Amino acid sequence: MNNSFPRLIDGMCATLRAEVLTRLDDEFARGQVFGVINLLNTFKVRADWSAGFLLQQIAAQHAALDGAAALLNEALPTPVPPSTPIAELLALRDAQNLRIAALLERVDAERAALLPESAAQAEALLRQAMRAEVDLELRNAPRPLFAEMSSGTEG
Amino acid sequence: MSALVDDATLGPRIADYLQQQVGHPVRVGAVRRFAVGFSWLTYAVPVTGLQGGDDATELILRLGPDYGLFAPYSAGPQVMAMQSLEGTAVPLPRAYWSSDDAAIFGAPFMFCEKVSGAAVVPWVAAGQPGLEDGYRQGLAEQFTDILAALHCVPWQQRPIAALAHGITAENAALRNVEQWEALIARWAMRPFPLADWGIRWLKAHTPVAPRVAIVHGDYRTGNFLEEGGHITSILDWELVHLGDPHEDLGWASLPMYMGGSKLICRLAEPEGFYQRYGDKAGFEVSMDSVRYYRAFSLLKLAATHMAAARCFEEGRFNDMRMPAMGSQVATCLRQMEKTIESTR
Repeated sequence: MNNSFPRLIDGMCATLRAEVLTRLDDEFARGQVFGVINLLNTFKVRADWSAGFLLQQIAAQHAALDGAAALLNEALPTPVPPSTPIAELLALRDAQNLRIAALLERVDAERAALLPESAAQAEALLRQAMRAEVDLELRNAPRPLFAEMSSGTEG
Repeated sequence: MSALVDDATLGPRIADYLQQQVGHPVRVGAVRRFAVGFSWLTYAVPVTGLQGGDDATELILRLGPDYGLFAPYSAGPQVMAMQSLEGTAVPLPRAYWSSDDAAIFGAPFMFCEKVSGAAVVPWVAAGQPGLEDGYRQGLAEQFTDILAALHCVPWQQRPIAALAHGITAENAALRNVEQWEALIARWAMRPFPLADWGIRWLKAHTPVAPRVAIVHGDYRTGNFLEEGGHITSILDWELVHLGDPHEDLGWASLPMYMGGSKLICRLAEPEGFYQRYGDKAGFEVSMDSVRYYRAFSLLKLAATHMAAARCFEEGRFNDMRMPAMGSQVATCLRQMEKTIESTR
């Protein structure tokens, strides 16, 4: 997911108010929509993205960076504290992604000067981490409803 | 940020504008906004008296609002493309008036002819059957032939030549990658190392184009109208540019537009599509270039999804389809990596 949790809740509430309630005449159905808005607003102040999911992504990045740093004579990454607020985990994921991108760029640019086996192993580790991040993202995403969103009807 | 003219006052403003253009009064009926698209807004505009009498016609008005997906917009490239293609074998609406002056309707705009027909949706719900075979094959042949015709247009003597800026068969791919790299830098809200890796691969493996052609940039099911099995118009020219014709082949062959089938854009068997296209376009299709541009297209689609996420996050739109699109970045980047792997 590439949007922030509170912004998604705000967007859902705004859409329900502006696009759904304005076209809904049935009193009971309108009450249900307000109930959903109420709950969404509760989620906004009490919920956030799953830490478990982020921790899996971060662990995959960390393992790759650990291995690649040793192969490329770089400083080892800092271990992740066991309990960290979500905002800090997101920042850590992004920082580790920047590090992965920088190391891959270094391997590409300095390939001739690096030990071939170290370069290949480091590249494989870093690419595995990138793949793990998107695979986890895909495993934790529902089937997209583009056909339903285009037609406005149930598939 | 300029305020877009609201739907209720749009009609009188359009009447004033059209009157200035044609030099006599016109009447504009109730303007109707189509609920499609994430980018340019599209309106049907009923106009009476455009020819000076009681003649009635319906125009299409497209507005590029500054909250749209690819904002800031300019009507220039698509109008130039549409004017360049008049009189060719590419069916498309006739472009009339346009301007980037936001003082007129609050956003860049263009008026064009309304063409009859309906769009075939590229996405299908699980379990939905494919298109009827005869109908599908008829559309597939036209879809292929029109693309080949587009890529054969001698653009050098037409308005779209203004977009050339020194493009050659040798530099077309690199310029394209650099343009989308800059857009990703603008739109991405967090680092995507897989995108960086893909960009480096694309820069290191640029193919030479068989020719520089007009590239639609979003040629697929959903962006043409058909009526009675005939394609009546190719739409959505906002990503048009000059480049390698293989780019449109790579884009059309994206798995996202196959609707769960093995058919290009739910229409054409791949082998027959490339063969027929090559025969009509007058060059042999390079499957290496198709795969290169498929990888590039997946990067471009990932970038579009990054734009959707940013557009929503910044509060420019509350359309909930935007974050849904924004959640598809990982899918595109994973497919891009697989496509690149298949070339190694």
